[in-house]
This record gives sequence, C-alpha cells and structure tokens, in this order.
Amino acid sequence: MNVFYAGISLLLLAGLGAQSKTQAASLDEARFVELHALLKPDENVTWRRIPWRIELLAAQREAAAINKPLFVWAMDGHPLGCT
Amino acid sequence: MFELLRSEFVAVAIDQAYERRQQDAEGDFWRRIVDQSPRKGTKGTTQGFYIVAPSGELLLFNNNRHPEKVLRLTKQTARKFASSDRSKTKAAAIAAGKVDKRYNPVPPEGGLVVRARGKVLGGYEPTDDRWRKVMQSALSRDNLWATRAEHDALVKGELPGKLMRRLARFHLVDNTRGEPPMWRDDEVRSLQIERDGDRISGTVSLATKDGERGFDAQIFGFVHVKKGRVTRFDLVADGMFWGEGPYTKGAPKGRFPFAVAFTLADGSDVADAIPPQGSRGWVDGYLR
Repeated sequence: MNVFYAGISLLLLAGLGAQSKTQAASLDEARFVELHALLKPDENVTWRRIPWRIELLAAQREAAAINKPLFVWAMDGHPLGCT
Repeated sequence: MFELLRSEFVAVAIDQAYERRQQDAEGDFWRRIVDQSPRKGTKGTTQGFYIVAPSGELLLFNNNRHPEKVLRLTKQTARKFASSDRSKTKAAAIAAGKVDKRYNPVPPEGGLVVRARGKVLGGYEPTDDRWRKVMQSALSRDNLWATRAEHDALVKGELPGKLMRRLARFHLVDNTRGEPPMWRDDEVRSLQIERDGDRISGTVSLATKDGERGFDAQIFGFVHVKKGRVTRFDLVADGMFWGEGPYTKGAPKGRFPFAVAFTLADGSDVADAIPPQGSRGWVDGYLR
C-alpha cells in the first residue's frame, strides 16, 4: 500500500515538475511583490554609474567647453533602453 | 573603464537609427563623424564605439565587444588626444538650430512615463560562454508612454483599453537579447484586464499567426492616485513565452518563464527620457 502511494506521489510530483516547465505559477500578490523586486536593476552595476548623456549635440557643446573628447556608444536600439 | 570615461571623456549613448536619419544639426554632426569611419557611405547601421574630438574629428572607431580590447583602445586614444594640439585648441560649440521632430519625440504632455523591464526567468541550457551568460541573465529596459487622456482616465478610476493594448503590443516582448519584434494588432489573441479600485488583474494571450512566437501571461498590480495624479503604477506580467525574433536569437527552447515589470518613472534615471522602442519612427501610431 505504501509502495502504491509512494508511486502515485512520484507520478504526481513528476507531473507537477513537467507542468512547471510549461506553465507559470499563479500570479498572486506575493508573487507580484517577488517579481517586482526581482526585476529591479542593480544600481551598483558599474556601467550604470557612468554619466551617460543621451543628446549628441548637447554632449558636443559640453565636450567643447571642457575640451575633452566624446566617447559615443551607438547601437541599433538605444543602449540605455532597448537592448 | 568607468573611471576613464568619467574623467577623460564626455560619454554619450545614442540609438543611431535616429541620428543617421535626422535632418538637422545633430544628424549632420553624426553623419560627419560616420563619414570618417569605415561606416562611410552606408545606408545601414552605423553602430559601434566612436571617440571624437569636440571639433567632430574622428579619433577612433571600433565595433568590438571585447571589453579588454575596448579599454586598451580607449586608453590609447585618450593619451593620443591629451598629447596632441587638439587638446589645446578650443572647438566651437554647435548650436542645435531647428530640430527634426520626427527623431526627437518627447513624452506626451500631461501623460505618464512608465519603466518596463523584462527578464527570462529560466529555460536556458547551461553555458560557459561569457556572452551567452550575459544575455541569459539580462534585464531589459524600455519606457511605456501614456497620453494625458489616459492619465486622466486612470485618475478617474478607469483603465483605458488603448493603454492596456499598447502595453501588450509593445512592452510584453522579449527584448532581453536584442531588438524584439513587436506584436501586430491581430496577434493580440485575448486581452482581459480589469481594475477593481487600486488593483489591476487579468490575462493576456499573444501569438503570431503561425504560432512560432507567443506569450501567455497573467497581469497583476496596483494603481494609486493622489491629488489628481497617478503616484503608483506597478504591474507585473508573468507567464510563458516561446519563440524569438530575427534580432533576439538564442531564446530558450520551447516555452519558458518570462516576466515584465512596470513602474512609474520619476526622471531620476537618464533612461527615463528615452522614447519607447515601439514608437521609433511613428509616435502617433504607437500612441493611437
């Protein structure tokens, strides 16, 4: 009998495992809080602390004023946004 | 690299798809830089790293993603600039003049800017490849724009259907590995989102006609209003995604867990000012 129940339990667990790969968990308030926190960026990541400008001509005027070169990171999609 | 960029350069990040098309002083300046590089004459992408003297003279072009190489080249160019006459000659500032509005969209006046961040929560095959690891753990960033009318409707306790449809079509996308395909209007198979007081909940089902790419998700979150303004717009879309786009190759096989979180932008992040990816070239269509 115990072997039977153990077998059923294993089958159920296997089924749940398979389900978790194809279905998301139910989105209740607790999961919302968990995900909202998880999807926040780490503010200490070094590249985020670089003072990026996003307007090329404004940056040119600043560079001209302090006589420093521009470092331009140009991408398809904005480097600080998409991609 | 961080200290080098802070101390020796004025660092700029741009979406070159705007810059190379705009018909104004900024577009002219960008094309002048590009025409000194191997990208000269291209009608395609001008992406890469460029180091430019304030006068517009190109000092370095590179499109290598290897951090050690970029650091070495950047250091060399900084030294070259500092030891040359260029560093002693004052360049003229370039006035903006009349701006090409098609490529300088601004958020709707009286509307909202909402940060949207996506993440693949599992399903990738383990890898030792450093670049794949970066992609697999990436947190994407885009902005959702809401119009003044939609903001007003949220304040009144409503949930504008157009805003939810825009959120689904342009922001429930897997943009963690590159520029994603947005959902066409007829790819929104179902969108059932309701508001009950300050709570928002519902489901969304998105899929291409051939079924090769899709996202089935639940939505849950909160909208708070104070003194006639939305003060909180926190939502999460949590579900199973499948498929990839031409520029988002390398998705996990089959269906994989994926989530997008939304929160009101407060202007404290420079990226809050970046237009939504889905609005590129047709802001009116995006806001329609």
